[in-house]
Amino acid sequence: MSLLDVRDLTTEFRTEQGWHKAVSDVSFTLDPGEILGLVGESGCGKSTAAYSVMKLLGANARIAAGEAWLGGENLLAMNDDALRKLRGDRLSMIFQDPATALDPAITVGEQVMETVREHLGLDRRAARARALELFRQVGISDPERRLNAYPHQFSGGMAQRIALAIAISCNPEMLIADEPTTALDVTIQAQILRLIKTLLVNERRSAVLLITHDLGVVAQICDRVAVMYAGRIVEVGDVQSVFADPLHPYTRALLHALPTHEVARGALATIEGRVPGLTDRPGGCSFHPRCPHARPICATELPPRVRPSPGREVSCVLHAADG
Amino acid sequence: MPPMADTPLLRLDRLAKHFPVGGGWIDALTGKRSHVKAVDGVSLDVRQGETLAIVGESGSGKSTLGRLVMRLLTPSAGQVLYKGRDVVAMNRAELRQFRRQAQIIFQDPFSSLNPRMRIADIVREPLDVYQDGARADRPGRTEALLERVGLTADHGRAYPSELSGGQRQRVGIAAALALSPELIVADEPTSALDVSVQAQTLNLLADLQASYHLTFVFITHDLGIVHHFADRVAVMYLGRIVEEAPTETLFREPKHPYTRSLLSAIPQPDPTKRVDWQLPEGEPPSPLDPPSGCSFHPRCPHAMDVCARQAPTLAPVEPGHRAACFLHQPVRHDASSTGMPS
Repeated sequence: MSLLDVRDLTTEFRTEQGWHKAVSDVSFTLDPGEILGLVGESGCGKSTAAYSVMKLLGANARIAAGEAWLGGENLLAMNDDALRKLRGDRLSMIFQDPATALDPAITVGEQVMETVREHLGLDRRAARARALELFRQVGISDPERRLNAYPHQFSGGMAQRIALAIAISCNPEMLIADEPTTALDVTIQAQILRLIKTLLVNERRSAVLLITHDLGVVAQICDRVAVMYAGRIVEVGDVQSVFADPLHPYTRALLHALPTHEVARGALATIEGRVPGLTDRPGGCSFHPRCPHARPICATELPPRVRPSPGREVSCVLHAADG
Repeated sequence: MPPMADTPLLRLDRLAKHFPVGGGWIDALTGKRSHVKAVDGVSLDVRQGETLAIVGESGSGKSTLGRLVMRLLTPSAGQVLYKGRDVVAMNRAELRQFRRQAQIIFQDPFSSLNPRMRIADIVREPLDVYQDGARADRPGRTEALLERVGLTADHGRAYPSELSGGQRQRVGIAAALALSPELIVADEPTSALDVSVQAQTLNLLADLQASYHLTFVFITHDLGIVHHFADRVAVMYLGRIVEEAPTETLFREPKHPYTRSLLSAIPQPDPTKRVDWQLPEGEPPSPLDPPSGCSFHPRCPHAMDVCARQAPTLAPVEPGHRAACFLHQPVRHDASSTGMPS
């Protein structure tokens, strides 16, 4: 059974013209020990979808429909107190800017100790020992000294290690990582990704929902990938199959637009036009104005959700049985 | 002296930029103020019509190098020679000519565009400032520039805030093109853009280069883009060039251990080629307090005793391929040498 089961999630944002859907009918599952990549370009709704699951939305957003089952509990129906407890105990999160998660006025040691004391019920001494152990696990050298330092004394990569130490401190069942390495240099990015894989997946069998725009990161560490476009998941599948044989025209275009050495020198494939904004998403399949395979029906009707093979899902008329 | 036929369009000669840091005026008076060596002795040639990529992580000094080339910063030592002329020593007329011929495109097209000006006026501004051609021709030329970068007259009437990131970068490119430059320094021009928009922008730059025989200095941290776009690559680490080679050679046979770990750390978008990341140990050191000798030695898997004592020079390992590493050059036996002219 899946650890997390998100069904038909719809989240809306308030704009001057009223409420608009940022996330529409999003469904996905996440198993223990699995890394699911939620990938897409800016504004596709990938972060909003993940934040909705944690009910971490601003005042200008509301969850209009959907369920998010973690074990036997629907997160979206829980009250705030129960959810806050759950967020520390069973779910944790790391962000693009680790400073978001750290209090600038408190030493990092205190912050880690506070978390483990509150959620694991440890006394001060045990909490300190646990904090030191966590610092070593995330690769912070000289941990005794670093416990007494403040967040601003750390580089972005080191601060992300501390955020990760806090995130794993209570052995969460699930980690949501929102572009955790986007602000970091590639050598540091690789270190952080390797830590996520070893500490969460290999050692704790935790599930990871990794939000990223970087298809290279997805290819390297995710097991499955869900591709989002204009608020909807257009394709889901295991990483090997999706990269080898992308089914949705958007996934295909995105993979071909990457400049890599595999691609011969010369023009990169591009996608005509641009990603629609929140208030001007086209009807039917949102990708139809940019799609080289669009048919008249694509402009008027939502594409069917098709399962062409086990574990794969695509929302496109090209793959419908009668298409 | 007129430039000779084989003079490179741009030559950097032992170029350095040191920024004072910390300390108040007392430290400055007593000479206690320390310096960050953002660029520390860089020598490079850029030939007409080629694309040289400057690659490095944050703090490597690559953006400072770009600003030195443009004379937006004054070097602490060394020279920037444009067509054989030192850009710092240029007289007014020469400098004016240089400012027409050398243009820069920035990473964030939003902060480099005046929010109160219409797009067409931004693109036209260089023509007005340089009194380029007849005034009556300028609106038509502006429209042609917009069209050249894939924008319309409608975009010309808009303000920067009304355009997307990709469109704003096109505006930056159109303005850079207005005076028919020869050299374009592009500082991370696509890092703020999404993949599909990045591809459009890179294609546009490649197309413009072919049409106008432009020379590019392309500053980036993205090695995928480098491989796709550059003819030659210089890899920077803590203010110095550690390796320089033709693009294909660098990717096929990287010599410097830093280049190797950088290449292995790029996440390839191919799940069948998962790598066991050969990661350099630790974090890049602070540019405020760089390690002795070769600045990569504390993180280098091949570090030898000599690496902590001497700085290797950037020396040829093969024709056209230079690396600053003792694995590829004989160790000098005068212990006093630091390898860098002071």
